[in-house]
Amino acid sequence: MSDILQGLLVGILFGIVLQRGRICFNSAIRDVKMIKDNYIMKLALLAILVETIGFQLAAQMGWITLHPLALIPLAQIIGGFMFGIGMVLAGGCASGITYRIGEGYITSFVAAIFFGFSASAVRGGPLTFVNKWLGQPITTTNNPGNYYAAKDGAVNLTIANWLNINPWIIALLFAIILFIIIVTWKTTERKVSGLNWITGGIALGLVGIIGYISQKTYALGITGGWVNLFRTTTANLDVTKPLPYNWMGMEIAGIIIGAAIAAILAKEFRFRAPKDPKTFAQVALGGILMGVGAGVAGGCNIGHILSGLPHLAISSILFTIFAVLGNWFMVWYIFERK
Amino acid sequence: MSNDIKPTYSLDERGEVCPVPDVDTRRKLKEMKPGETLEVLVDYALSKERIPTGIKDVGGEVITIEEIGASEWRILIKKV
Repeated sequence: MSDILQGLLVGILFGIVLQRGRICFNSAIRDVKMIKDNYIMKLALLAILVETIGFQLAAQMGWITLHPLALIPLAQIIGGFMFGIGMVLAGGCASGITYRIGEGYITSFVAAIFFGFSASAVRGGPLTFVNKWLGQPITTTNNPGNYYAAKDGAVNLTIANWLNINPWIIALLFAIILFIIIVTWKTTERKVSGLNWITGGIALGLVGIIGYISQKTYALGITGGWVNLFRTTTANLDVTKPLPYNWMGMEIAGIIIGAAIAAILAKEFRFRAPKDPKTFAQVALGGILMGVGAGVAGGCNIGHILSGLPHLAISSILFTIFAVLGNWFMVWYIFERK
Repeated sequence: MSNDIKPTYSLDERGEVCPVPDVDTRRKLKEMKPGETLEVLVDYALSKERIPTGIKDVGGEVITIEEIGASEWRILIKKV
């Protein structure tokens, strides 16, 4: 099966799980602080736990090599914080605004277009120069057990290769910590009509593992997919040198299709638009902050949080911390400030 | 029947961005007096599922949730 067809199919599966689980990392991070509701956070933690073991096992079986994302501390700190602020304004994370297009949210469509457009601008477009201000990747030559993809001997930093110990040790420790948090943290009551936090968390984790085995070079991602869609669709003026659509670009198309199918079957599809036109300006600004942030940081809430944390990549840990801080800061600014 | 109850206040949150329906509902409940009722119209499934638990600490209690259209709900809340 061709790469792009696989990407499309994994995307459809991903879109169905996102829609049925109402999975949004903006809600997950925000609700823990704002309304002391941990329902989606627990779903996300469970998915990360499933992937932590799954990625390591897939690498052990020789199906993949682990590809942690590059560590450029300033990029993950500044980009993560911008992304965190942006998703509050946009009313959804990168995957949230993507799958909600399939549910008929006009605001998500606007946010996603500005997100893809700005991410393309900093990744190979006219704003590429900003990456120079943020520095070069910090790598290691340690590759314990040869689990990691190396480029000229350089490997992107994770906790395991930084300490030069078998990545299974760190993966199992992380999995145990997550497991303890999940079982001891009382779940907020919620009557759901789709997937609950347990079935949704396991399904999301499994789609992540399938995605990695299919794409090979990484698990699920959103930012790179939107950049591919934009670049290939708009920049290809020389027809003799086509820029191909790739796995991740087709995964984005699949998410929208999958979410639309799930929403239509559940009778949840509907074109929705806010009454106040200012909301469109707000979500567009949110999309721009998210696009620039995820663009320079090398990933969004899916690339760095869902797919990156299971690698225990230093870049992804840093991004996650600053995305959470950015989200909480903006939640306070918009909703909690007197 | 919930249809017979004329709510004291009404909020139309259809089309609003997450989590505006939840936040507006909580803000309204905070300024309401005990015994008063609030009707909230939403078209966002996540808000419909999250509001019942999210309003407890501001004295809100859901009386009914009824589907009034395709992905449209009317949530009737009482301030206790």
